[in-house]
This record gives sequence, structure tokens and C-alpha cells, in this order.
Amino acid sequence: MSCVIVEDRIYVGVDVSFALPYVFPNFYLLLSLLYSVFRFQIVWLWLLSMAGPVAWAHQPPPTRRYWVELCDKSGVEFKPAAYFHPAAQARRQRQHLPAFDFTDLPVPPAYVGQVQAHADTILLVSRWFNAVACRATATQAAALARLPAVRCITELPAPALQPAASRPSAPIPDKAIISPVDRQLARQQTRTLGADDFRRAGLDGRGLRIAIFDVGFNGADQHPAFRELFAQRKVVASYDFVRHTPNVFHGGTHGLEVLSCLAGRLPDGTLLGLAPGADYLLARTERMHREVYAEELDWLAAVEWADRNGADIINSSLGYTARRYFPEQMNGRVSLVARAAELAARKGILVVNAAGNDGDNEDWRTVGTPADADSVLAVGGVSPETGLHLDFSAYGPTADRRLKPNVAAFGTVLAAAPGGYTRIDGTSFAAPLVAGFAACAWQQQRSLPVMALFRQIEASATLYPYYDYAHGYGMPQAQVLLHAGPPAQSQKPTVHFEVQDSVVMVIIRPEATRPLVAGALPLYADSVAATQAGMPAQVAPLGQEEARPPASDTSEQPLAPEPAAGRLPAASYLYWHVADARGVLRRYEVLEVSQRVILRIPRRTLHPGDVVRVFYQGTTHSYPSR
Amino acid sequence: MKSLLTLTVVVGLGLASQPGQAQRVLLHAEVAEDTLYAAFGPNRTFFNHVYVGYLPVVGRAAPGAALRYGYSGELMLGLRNKFQLSEPLSLGLDLRFVRRTYALAQNARKLLPTPVVHYRESIALSEWQGEGFVRLNVGARGNVIGRYLDLTGWGGWVMSTAHRVEDRPTAGPRKVQINERGLPYLRRWTYGVGARLGTGRYAAVARYRFSDTFRPAYQGQYPELPRWTVGVELGWL
Repeated sequence: MSCVIVEDRIYVGVDVSFALPYVFPNFYLLLSLLYSVFRFQIVWLWLLSMAGPVAWAHQPPPTRRYWVELCDKSGVEFKPAAYFHPAAQARRQRQHLPAFDFTDLPVPPAYVGQVQAHADTILLVSRWFNAVACRATATQAAALARLPAVRCITELPAPALQPAASRPSAPIPDKAIISPVDRQLARQQTRTLGADDFRRAGLDGRGLRIAIFDVGFNGADQHPAFRELFAQRKVVASYDFVRHTPNVFHGGTHGLEVLSCLAGRLPDGTLLGLAPGADYLLARTERMHREVYAEELDWLAAVEWADRNGADIINSSLGYTARRYFPEQMNGRVSLVARAAELAARKGILVVNAAGNDGDNEDWRTVGTPADADSVLAVGGVSPETGLHLDFSAYGPTADRRLKPNVAAFGTVLAAAPGGYTRIDGTSFAAPLVAGFAACAWQQQRSLPVMALFRQIEASATLYPYYDYAHGYGMPQAQVLLHAGPPAQSQKPTVHFEVQDSVVMVIIRPEATRPLVAGALPLYADSVAATQAGMPAQVAPLGQEEARPPASDTSEQPLAPEPAAGRLPAASYLYWHVADARGVLRRYEVLEVSQRVILRIPRRTLHPGDVVRVFYQGTTHSYPSR
Repeated sequence: MKSLLTLTVVVGLGLASQPGQAQRVLLHAEVAEDTLYAAFGPNRTFFNHVYVGYLPVVGRAAPGAALRYGYSGELMLGLRNKFQLSEPLSLGLDLRFVRRTYALAQNARKLLPTPVVHYRESIALSEWQGEGFVRLNVGARGNVIGRYLDLTGWGGWVMSTAHRVEDRPTAGPRKVQINERGLPYLRRWTYGVGARLGTGRYAAVARYRFSDTFRPAYQGQYPELPRWTVGVELGWL
């Protein structure tokens, strides 16, 4: 039996020799061992490939991944004009940020050399964290820790491999045919955010640079949805941080689908996203169907690359959850990518991240990282049929009880896919819709600091100032953002509170029942049965979403009347929550309104300092009023 | 607890203590309940799961008790309980059923249990075992099993024993099988130590049996059987 260790994996082969019985008296014992190896060949190979730390006397000792933080950056020279792309310099100037800060300085080459001398392999050199990720043996790690230049050394989590998920083997449907229902979805996914208002204002993200971090962009350069994008050379840079090559058009189609929700077009010119005029930086940072910690290092490398190349917005439809972290660690301070995303925001980059698809996963349920970071705009998914939260969309709050997701967009979209277009579910596609929204908003107010833009996007959303942990502030609205405020008619009181001995009653005002609901509401009414038509089935984790199976004949589906922008059924729902004095929610609900006496809240359930907020038809009411 | 998007009908005006009467609740969340963190899980305070394993018998067989390797081994089905003390250190207790088979090679030097040579012959023991272990985990991880090394000590009680013989006579019936149960020469109590190197649901296991196979009265008559078993386990997480 021979054994070769290549990058901590052990590959075992068997060499059968007929001379063995003569030189090896326990030949039959050996034979039984070999038999066992063959009998469980797959399991053994898998097992041994994972068994990095196995020591073999004649092999070099096993290595592990370490994160080596260095003490200082003394003595380094840095010329920001030479290092940063002009777009990156302009971004800093616009936001009144210094031309560079300490984190932009290069890691001292002497320090890198010292680490290299005591390590097996250098994996990443991070300016932002003044750190080096490397592979080293335990002895080398001990020697590294003793170096004067080293502040601390931490072992990185072991790669947690997931077996590759099996792809459905069903024949690929003809995705070139777009049904009327899908065409309507394509229009609605941007129109509900205010595509018409942006178009009238001439905003399409022009002059912005958007970086997309994803699994891979298979076929994006050939797809008709991006013909104009590539013809106009809007993809200004690309890099595969997994394979270290500029070619990113491989590895998976998820990036293609995400890109289409920013800049894709249907054959008739209908836009699938809001930012067809922006420039794009495409980065491959993720491996399909695998969860290795190196992806987070790649994410960090990509964010530094995006900063250097002048990215204004980063769209990351990726998230890291249970294989590396616990829900209680989702506080924006634990993971490397969350801290990197925070640094990106400090450098004037808006990071838009999908909230995650674990809303219906009882073991996780909350947002992943880096969506947990405070300065990351986390985007949840809502149903295009109702405008209500989709089951799979991850819920907030963060572990430290901050609001997440921040905003929401359609979690079911029509996206470009290999061979045409497809309907697909996931918050991965809500994020680029909002990233496109942000690009248009920033195009209009180019000098806006990043966090001011962040707040404006939140403030423009349908529910603002109401919020909950399923929808955040709701769907951003171009009309509100462009005109710096919601339409005047939506500020009218729509409910009033009636306080009795033991309950607080919330009653809808008679004049508020007519615009969105057919007929006037009775004071009391019986309820009706619920339906869940059109709800998506189980949705894969971020970065692994797959297209919905084709409907039997979508062309024959009844075409619902196209609602006006922002007028999905959710616009007539009533939202209410109870928040404590810090604004942390205790409870929240969404109700379908069928009578004017909509709520009876027992006063004994309210704690001192609690606030009841009710959102109905564009207006938020509080009890006690403030 | 997590029925957050519940399209349920709350009917009845008499439920005065419940908010939102006679309304269709499209989404409901009690944040305190929904953000409770579990104590059960692969990298939580307590975890248990079922596993199966097959460990072939390895090691030199004494003259007179030669084995057919590959056919001799332990097939087991067990329940593993793990109590985490800290991220890298856990304690555990396994309860399992083990079917151990020694397939006896038929040769001229055979002694066990008789020198008579048959077409096929085996001794099988059905055994309940308990095993305590100390688990050392490597590396930070989320709520997954991760990579680990278990150091184990185990003991068992042999529930039943059987000696099976198969002959293929040249005349008469094509196959003759004889089963003897309740073998008097086998010990009832077993014990030993072991180690397990695992990642996720997979583990490589090596076990060494300290206890003798045969009762003292028969130890001079029968050579001891190999004490090592080495194989794999597959967890059902």
C-alpha cells in the first residue's frame, strides 16, 4: 500500500505483488486488510482524504491553516495613486474619506518573508487586517508565534466539506420560451422597487461600479441577456479567487442568475434588474456544493480587490452558516467576512448581502454571515404574489438583537439561465435587485456617504418607519427616495387606539378601508380559509439555488392583473409589533384585514416601556404615542 | 415554535386574551421563542445518533484456529450519546448490539472447536456492549461533528453463541447444516479498549479485546482468537 499526501489529503493506492507471500509471512493477514479496503473503498478513500492529521513516519508532518496577525506596518511605502484605480480614488474623495488609511498600507514585505520562512504555504496576505493566512505545521505555528513581528496567531476552522449535492437529472426545459406569467414577473420584480421612476429620472446605475462575488458566471459572456453589457464593455474586471485566473465564466451558473438581476434583459428589452448602465467587477469566491473555509479567505481577498478597483457597491449573494458558525455568533463581530464587510463600508463601499435561505431551517433560521454585519444591507425575500415574507427567507434579529434583514425585494424572480430564462427562488436574487436600486440612488446623489445612502434606502422602504424581523423596513421605493418622502396621502391616520380596562384595541378608521380593499370593512367579520398557491418549495442555501421545475404549461396559467407599483396584496395587510424600550421586538404579526376592529391586545402582555406599532396603508401609528 | 408563516384562521370572538381575533394571521413571531438556541446538536451540549459499523478481525491467528479473513468480523448497530464539556473535549457513552463472527479456515491443523474439517464453519457471538469514550475534537467549527479522535473503553455481555457447520456431502443431500447454540467453551463477558478517528459521519475504528475468548477450562485446549478488529463506522446524523 502506498500513501501520498498532497495538501493534507492522503491518497491511497494498492500495489499487488506476487512475491509478497515469500517476503511477507503475514500475507493472508495483509490480504484480508486489502480486502477490507476494497470492500469499503469509497468510504476509506473519503475517510482518509479527510484525515489530515494522520501521522506517517516517512511523511512530512500535517499542516493546518493559520491566521497570523502582524504587529505593525512600520517602514512601508505606499502610493495610493499608483495602487488604487482612479474610480477608487474618486469614491474616497466623494465621500470625504482620506486617500488611504492604515488598513490600505501593504503588509511589510519583511514580515511576509518571515512568515513565509516559517510556514509551509502562504494562502493570503491581507492589507486590511495586516495579516497573513498560511498553512503550517504545529511546530512551524509555534515558531511563528514567537516571531517579534507576530501579534497573534489563530488556527482557522478546519475545512468542513459537504458532499456534493446531486443535481436533478430531469431534461433541461426549453428556457428560451418565456411565458406571459414569467414576463409579468420580470416586469414586476423591478417595477415594485420603482423601475419606472428611475427610468423617468434617467437613472440606470451609470458611473457606478458594482462588484459581484459569486460561485461562477457560467456562460454569462455568451448569454443574450448580457449582449449589450458585454458589447459596451461594462464588465471592466474579473478574477477567480479560487483558481487565481481572470476567467470567471465557469464554476456555476449562480453568478449568471445574480448578474441578470442587476443588468440582464429579456429579448424584448425588458430589464431584469435596475442597473444595466453600471460597470461590473466579477469575482468568483465560492465553490459550488462545497463549504470550505478558504471561501471566506477568498471573499476577503475579493473585497480588497474590489476596493482597489473602485467598486462602489458589492453584491454578495453568499452566506456562511451552520457548518462554521452557530446562530448565536451571528453578531457581525465573529466571522472574518463580517469584519471585512464592515471595513468595506468604512472605505465607502455599500455591501449588499442576501439575508439567507434558512428561514425554514429550524436549526438555523436567522441570517448568515456577512449579512449579520451592522453596515451590511441585508436583503430578505418577499413573495411576488402577495408581497409577504417567503418562508425560506432568513429572519432576524442578529444575535445581539439588531434589525435584520434591513430591506426586502422579490425572492422569486425571472433570471437569465443557461439556454434562456428561468423562474428561480432565493434571497440571492433579492439582493441584486436592491443593489441595482442602490446604484440608481447613488447615481442621483453621487456625493452621498455610504451610510447615509444605507439609511435613505431603509427610509424609502414600504413599511418605514415600521419594521419587523421578516421584512426589515420592506421594499425600497424609488418614488420615495427620489422625492425625499412618501406620497402625502399615505401619511393620513389610518387606525386609532382605543384603551379599555384590560385591552388596547386597534380600530381601522372608516375612511382608511376604501382605497386598497374592495368595499368598506364591517366592524367584525368571520375569517376565510387560507391558500398558499405559488409558494416555492424548499430552497437551497445561498449560492446553490436552482431553477424551479417548469410548470406543466405556464402559457395557460391565468394572468393576474398587473398591480400598480407597490400595490401588491401586502399593501392592504396590517402589520403590528410590540417593541421594548430599546426597539427590540418581542412579537410581530401580519394580518389580513377583514374587519375594522383589527386587534385587541391584553394590557397585561405589555411591559413598562413597550411600544405597540401598527402599520396600515403607509402610516405607522404608535401606542403610547411618542 | 417556528410556525412563522402560518396561514391559519383564528376564529371566535370569545378568545379575549388573544390579540388579532377573527383575523387571518399571515405571519406571527414570538421573538424570544424563535431565538432560543438549542442545547442538542452535533456541536452542542448533548447529541446522540445511531450508527452502524463493520470491523473485520485482523491479526495473526494461532495454529489450529486459522480464520478466513474478511469473513471474520464484527457487525454492529449502536446508539452514541455525546456530552460536550468544551469545544475540543467531550465525553460519550455508546450502547450497541454486536454480531461477531469468526469464520474458521478448514485445514489439516485445525483444532477449533474440533479437528474435523467441514465445507464451511463459523463461531458467532451476539453481544450487547457499552462503551465509554473521551472525544478530542480538532479545530473550530459550527454545529457539525467535525474531526475527532475518540479513546474508548468497552465491555459487553454475550447474549448468545452459535457454532455453525456446513457440509457438502458427495452423496445424499446437497447441503447439510448444523447449528449448535449455547457453546460452553466461550466466555460470557468481554472487555477491551479502542480508538476512533472520525470526520463527520465517517469514522475509522480499531478495537483491542483484553478478555479471552475461551473459558479458563478450555484455554489449554483452544488457541486464542485474534484480539484486534479494525474497520469503519457510519453515523446516521
